[in-house]
Amino acid sequence: MAATRTAPRPGAAVAPPAAPPPTARQPRRARAQVGRSLRDLATSVALVAAALLAWEGYKALGRATGDLVPFTSLPLPVATDDAAMPHVWQVVAALAGPASAASDQSLLAYYLQQTSVTLREAAYGLALGAAVGVGLALLMRQIPWLGRASMPWLVVSQTIPLVALAPVVVVWIGGAGFPSWVAVTVISAYLAFFPVTLNTATGLLSADPTHVELMRSVAASPLQTLLLVRVPAAVPSFFTGLRLAATASVVGAVVGELSAGAGLGIGRAILTAAYYYSLAPANLYAAVLVASLAGVVFVQVIALAERLVLSTREN
Amino acid sequence: MTGQATTAPSTAIRLAGVSKTFSTSSGDVVALDDIDLDVPEGGFVSLLGPSGCGKSTLLRVIGDLVTPTAGTVEVAGTSAAEARRTRQYGMAFQAPGLMDWRTVRRNIELPLQVQGVGRAERRQRADEMLELVKLTQFADHRPRQLSGGMQQRVAIARALAMQPRVLLMDEPLGALDEMNREHLQRELLRIWRATGTTVVFVTHSIPEAVFLSTEVVVMSPRPGRIASRIPVDLPYPRTDETRLTDEFQAAERHVRERLHAVLEPSTAGL
Amino acid sequence: MSALAPAERPVRLPRARGRGLLVPLGPAAVLGVVLLLSWQLVVLVGGVQAYLLPAPSAIAQVVVSDAPALLSAARPTATAVVLAVLAGAVLGVLASVVVAMFEGVARVVLALVALAGCAPIVALAPIFNAWLGSTSIASKVAVATLSVTIPVVVNTTRGLLAVSPTHREYMQSVSASRRQLLLHVRLPGALPALFDGLRVGATLSVIAVIVSEYFGGTANALGVLIANTAAMSRFDQTWAAVFVASLLGLSLYGLIALVERLAVPWRSATPG
Repeated sequence: MAATRTAPRPGAAVAPPAAPPPTARQPRRARAQVGRSLRDLATSVALVAAALLAWEGYKALGRATGDLVPFTSLPLPVATDDAAMPHVWQVVAALAGPASAASDQSLLAYYLQQTSVTLREAAYGLALGAAVGVGLALLMRQIPWLGRASMPWLVVSQTIPLVALAPVVVVWIGGAGFPSWVAVTVISAYLAFFPVTLNTATGLLSADPTHVELMRSVAASPLQTLLLVRVPAAVPSFFTGLRLAATASVVGAVVGELSAGAGLGIGRAILTAAYYYSLAPANLYAAVLVASLAGVVFVQVIALAERLVLSTREN
Repeated sequence: MTGQATTAPSTAIRLAGVSKTFSTSSGDVVALDDIDLDVPEGGFVSLLGPSGCGKSTLLRVIGDLVTPTAGTVEVAGTSAAEARRTRQYGMAFQAPGLMDWRTVRRNIELPLQVQGVGRAERRQRADEMLELVKLTQFADHRPRQLSGGMQQRVAIARALAMQPRVLLMDEPLGALDEMNREHLQRELLRIWRATGTTVVFVTHSIPEAVFLSTEVVVMSPRPGRIASRIPVDLPYPRTDETRLTDEFQAAERHVRERLHAVLEPSTAGL
Repeated sequence: MSALAPAERPVRLPRARGRGLLVPLGPAAVLGVVLLLSWQLVVLVGGVQAYLLPAPSAIAQVVVSDAPALLSAARPTATAVVLAVLAGAVLGVLASVVVAMFEGVARVVLALVALAGCAPIVALAPIFNAWLGSTSIASKVAVATLSVTIPVVVNTTRGLLAVSPTHREYMQSVSASRRQLLLHVRLPGALPALFDGLRVGATLSVIAVIVSEYFGGTANALGVLIANTAAMSRFDQTWAAVFVASLLGLSLYGLIALVERLAVPWRSATPG
């Protein structure tokens, strides 16, 4: 194959060229960034459209070959009739249609309502778990032996399916007389707790030793060192943990609702849609779609907060 | 002097009117402006200058890693692009750039693998190179287990594995401490004289440039131009004693003056 | 849980030389014992009703006495998990290589995949049940494979794209082809990232299989066992099953770490 020759980006491996005055730099760079964002958006839309086309394409293929792999008599892994795989527009139509025979609300509105309940539970759980997590992380930093002793357990917590305890928590809390949303919040909280604690604790330990030495050389108190050096050093890791915790807390909320069976929430709605699948297959897809998008939005809100906080720090 | 055999040493590298302008988001930057340079076969030429003078860019233009906006580059009678395609270059960078996942020997074998050389011959050539840089006993170690200086020696061995016409080096000793640096300078000279390769060496250290080279090319910044070409007539082999001789000190002084003239044109020396 | 960037990969235990991991784990073991004893005391002395929070001793008893049943329940779960990890690894690597070849769109694809990873994948379980049958192992494997593929793709693609400039320049200087760059530099360089993704994926796989079993699985699987015993308030059995599930997660993690040590020996090479 002929060698491809690409000129390296200026500044990549050669000495950086001298920079012209800043005022000349801004408009061009901003224009380039906007152009890039638009291109990214267009590419994303194109990729999603391609995925939807693939869905319809697979359906069409299955319809044509009678659900067999072409040129063989092997069955396709997933059936392509409308009951098993509704058309994309059927799912959209289901969302636009009424939630039930008795209601005026569209299915989409109904699912969004349920989702807001789930996200509220996830948010409370996230806040609770994160607060306790930060507290423990600070404690771990202040009491070294506690830190050393807890770290391996926190690391191990990443490998065990804590969410498996969800049914236990649901029955406990239900048995204690609390409504099911409390159980769901508790599950979200403990799922959020571990990544936040682990990442924040690691972050607190990651302070630049040079900075710590500087504080010591000006006879700063431990509290001052904590606030001025260690906490700022831990902020990026904290947000990483928070982002991971956000995803975990949504999963926890959904699983909690599944285990609870009764009550509100999109997990519950998915369960119902699955139960009535034979009557309205498109509803299940609609519910799962709404749940997935909600999860994504939730985490992205946290990610946005992260970007804002970190970018203001850069100044 | 167009590549035909002559009694004088032939020209390994000829640059004529080479210019390079980069378009950055903040405007055009002229990195190199109308560079003419001849490097004789078997020579050791240092490119010396302050940061921003384009010495690294010039090295990469010679190696066909950067395409000049104007001018021509001839290496061993052909274009730089053809020379790279036919693998006439060995390159060493400031970071050793060894592959962590390969042993020292396999790192040296890499260019030969790319070239398509057979396994037995690769192994033999790699062993020769290991002997040349005196690292035979570390053949099966991993790069991370070696010190910085040793990693650079492996990088040099790797650069020489294909027996290139031209060895291009971009401040390869820059990350080493003084003692290691001087030791490796001696080793580099020994290896150069053993292989007879033409070397173009980028550095910002005056003693290093004078110690190693047959010619020191002082470059001025913004835009990058050749300010002076200073032949260094000291005899080889050069040792630590050489550094103490009057001739060496004089050569260093001369280069220093030229370099200061470049940095502060208003106070140009004699 | 979302797919993790290399910088966010799971924090690992420090590798101690000489006496191995025993020294740094000492305090942790002490803490663990202290917590277990406190739990035991709270239940016994505090008069917490055994059916609400069983004592560790009770749970241990169940683990021992029900061991055959627990193991046979663990079998389909473990099978699904392992199959998913293998399938996810293969699919993930293939997809990553394809994506990395189109550097222009790679960034966007990566962002979209990472975005998809934020969704509660377990919500897809009912769909896979509808497609592949709720009592078959295939539906569990399908959900779990998706959970594994996402972090593997995100991490491996990043690893494939993150070629050091020095390596890239070097390969250019010896006129290496794109295929040679992929084979000799990108792929081996991306192995550490691949294993980072695989470790995350392994945990997600266990979660995915167990949660999809909550939606209905083969009559005898860990997730089904957990859900059923919890519904019957037989919490000692539930905790025992959760314990076994945790052991599954830990063993898988350890297995992957072992394979990583063999496949990526340079990651743990001690500096000279």
